[in-house]
Amino acid sequence: MKKFQTLIKISLISGLLFTSQMAHAGTLENLERERAQLIETFLDANLNTGERLSKIETSKPRLIDLERMVLRDDKLTGRNTPTVRRAFGNYDLTFLVHASAEKNRTLFDLWLTQVGITTETIMVATKVAAPTN
Amino acid sequence: MRIVSLRHLLASTAIASCIILTGSVSSFSATSNGGSKTLPSWSPTSSERLVKLPPSYLKKSLDRDLAESQLGTAIKDNNENIGHKGNTLSDLQRAIETSEGEMRLELRHQFLAEKRAYLDLMEHQIDLNRKQAKTRLRLYERMLKDFGSKNANESAGVKQLVEKQTLARDRFKSSLAQVDLKVFETASFAESQYAVKYGQNVQAIEKLLDHIKQHEMNHSLTSDGVEMTKEEFIRHMATEAEAELALAEQDDTILGYMAKLVALDAMALSEETMDAELADSPLPGNSSPAQAVSFFMTN
Repeated sequence: MKKFQTLIKISLISGLLFTSQMAHAGTLENLERERAQLIETFLDANLNTGERLSKIETSKPRLIDLERMVLRDDKLTGRNTPTVRRAFGNYDLTFLVHASAEKNRTLFDLWLTQVGITTETIMVATKVAAPTN
Repeated sequence: MRIVSLRHLLASTAIASCIILTGSVSSFSATSNGGSKTLPSWSPTSSERLVKLPPSYLKKSLDRDLAESQLGTAIKDNNENIGHKGNTLSDLQRAIETSEGEMRLELRHQFLAEKRAYLDLMEHQIDLNRKQAKTRLRLYERMLKDFGSKNANESAGVKQLVEKQTLARDRFKSSLAQVDLKVFETASFAESQYAVKYGQNVQAIEKLLDHIKQHEMNHSLTSDGVEMTKEEFIRHMATEAEAELALAEQDDTILGYMAKLVALDAMALSEETMDAELADSPLPGNSSPAQAVSFFMTN
């Protein structure tokens, strides 16, 4: 009985800790969610150029605010979770809007560079994939 | 006869004081570290609580804690006794100047005895102050250890993450104006409510922080006007406690020399009283055989 009670206590405490961790990572989660939406827009084959640009422009103000909230969130300082480590591991990839404005490049162009898709890599891939006669 | 007895008594007590004082000159340094005396105690509030206090309040809290402790009460009482003894010495000194003869001798003897008592009180005061300084130093060292352990507990991974976060924030701050210019001047959307309210809140926060800095209870300045962090302030106080300990050693040396002077004064007084005694006592006559030569010249 005592063991059972101890087990319940441990699971309650762990649950509380996990919940609190999730609550603290709120700003970063929200940013990642919005960024995922943006990347979906980049890759949506059903959109034409105009529609794509329009959707990107619509998400820009939300992204700016979310990026600033994450950068100003002191609760994330030293919070050594994989999400936080990944986010701050690459500024240009995480804070796309700020980095693109800083470097005077479009969001899509910067994102493609960050994930390793450049003209050179496409040309190499094309050559490799080209059928040999 | 009565006068001789009094002088004899004074001379013997002066010699006895002299012997005791000469022995105690060297013993001042031997017992300077508290020796075998049990001194009153002082156990300050736990260092974890004190670390959370603002710097200026920290010092006042400690001083109040000391004043309410057994050690603090003993220091205060001893200080008062030293004051009274000082007045007694001053009165005796004045009385000696205006007196003469036996009364002067008696007063000088009393003066020596009071000086000895004064030195005992001063020795006790030094021991109490030394104990106070050592207790403070131990407390400050514990507090500095608590500060250090907070930083030491961070793993290498956390430190690396914090470094990256700091770099990201610095980059963000340095590019903020440029980004605002590019994004909001060319875009079709205005600044969001978050951006506007954030700006207002930042101004309010800066005003409040300014007010807090200037608040009289928030002074963390040294005497030369240099602002310090809490850790630096505690190090500064630890240095002051070390200085007090070093000065206590010097005070012991001073007391040693004072004791030697009292011993020499006691020797001088005992010599004076012995000289006077010897001058009064009649010396036995000395017969010479030459005076009885005539008896041996005739049969």
